[in-house]
Amino acid sequence: MNEVTKSKDVALIEVLDKVLDKGAVVAGDIVISVADVDLIYIGLKVLLSSVETMERLRGAPMSGGREEPT
Amino acid sequence: MNVAEKSLIYLYCVTKAKPDCSDFEETGIKVYPIYFQGTYAILSRVSPEEFSEENLKKNLANMEWVEKNIRQHEKVIEEIMKDITVIPFKFGTIFKTEEGVENLLKENNLKFKNVITDLEGKEEWGLKVYCDSEKLNDSLKKEDERVQGIEKEITSSGKGKAYFLKKKKSELIKNVRNEKISEYTQDSFERIKRACLEAKINKMLPKEVTEKKESMVLNAVFLINAKRIKEFENILAYLKTKYTNKGLIFDCTGPWPPYNFCNLSEKGKVQNE
Repeated sequence: MNEVTKSKDVALIEVLDKVLDKGAVVAGDIVISVADVDLIYIGLKVLLSSVETMERLRGAPMSGGREEPT
Repeated sequence: MNVAEKSLIYLYCVTKAKPDCSDFEETGIKVYPIYFQGTYAILSRVSPEEFSEENLKKNLANMEWVEKNIRQHEKVIEEIMKDITVIPFKFGTIFKTEEGVENLLKENNLKFKNVITDLEGKEEWGLKVYCDSEKLNDSLKKEDERVQGIEKEITSSGKGKAYFLKKKKSELIKNVRNEKISEYTQDSFERIKRACLEAKINKMLPKEVTEKKESMVLNAVFLINAKRIKEFENILAYLKTKYTNKGLIFDCTGPWPPYNFCNLSEKGKVQNE
């Protein structure tokens, strides 16, 4: 299978994109909030202007390819 | 650290079939199931030093800690799902007692069973598409009549007019590029979707997070019948052939635990109606 990557070798961002934002959510005694997830994304790139990034992360369009690549 | 100190319970996934938890010994994590009426919760003990509400928040700011634990979460679920269907839970779903987990299994018994039955024989795959703007620009200059037209006009114009036409051209390329990206990604998504049971588009991630020089133009996930993976791969190969010289880069990963396709509230509603 050279068309695809085995998930074990994938970049951290791939795992984060699944494990943090998705997955079944139930009322555990302790759960990670949306704000906590933002915190992790900020942690990924502490140097960047995080407000803008957060807006882009949270507010990116739901249909693909409308935004101009920068 | 002894077991007594690990007073919190971490939930990885829920299954219907009995999981084999023996494979985790080498990793040092003790993974174990608890059972309630046809469902298993796959758990491990964790320490409040790492996972209490307060400490968890602190640790989330530590990327090394996050990476280690996120990968561990994924690894445990992947190991379990080699043999059986799972409902993967979100990272950091913690219970204070095993009774708490038992109650979860009790209260959601039918829902969990239905969701798992629904997911049997299906795989989640992810597709992230990136765009190399320069390559796309080059292909537009070669293929797009509007871009070619204005280029012709520039060469046959005097200095002053050419200056304004060049400005117009860069604006035109920008618009055409957006239009083409939209067209290409939609075509890609729709074609793959035909081989899938479910398909979703997720939010795109900025370059700062992806650490790629190309912009993400599509972030999609698919739920596929395991028997139709070959078909999925063929479509992907076709799309690569079609769009690589237009600047698109296809990055496909899987099979993943069905993180994007185990919406408990959605499925619960359907079952209750």
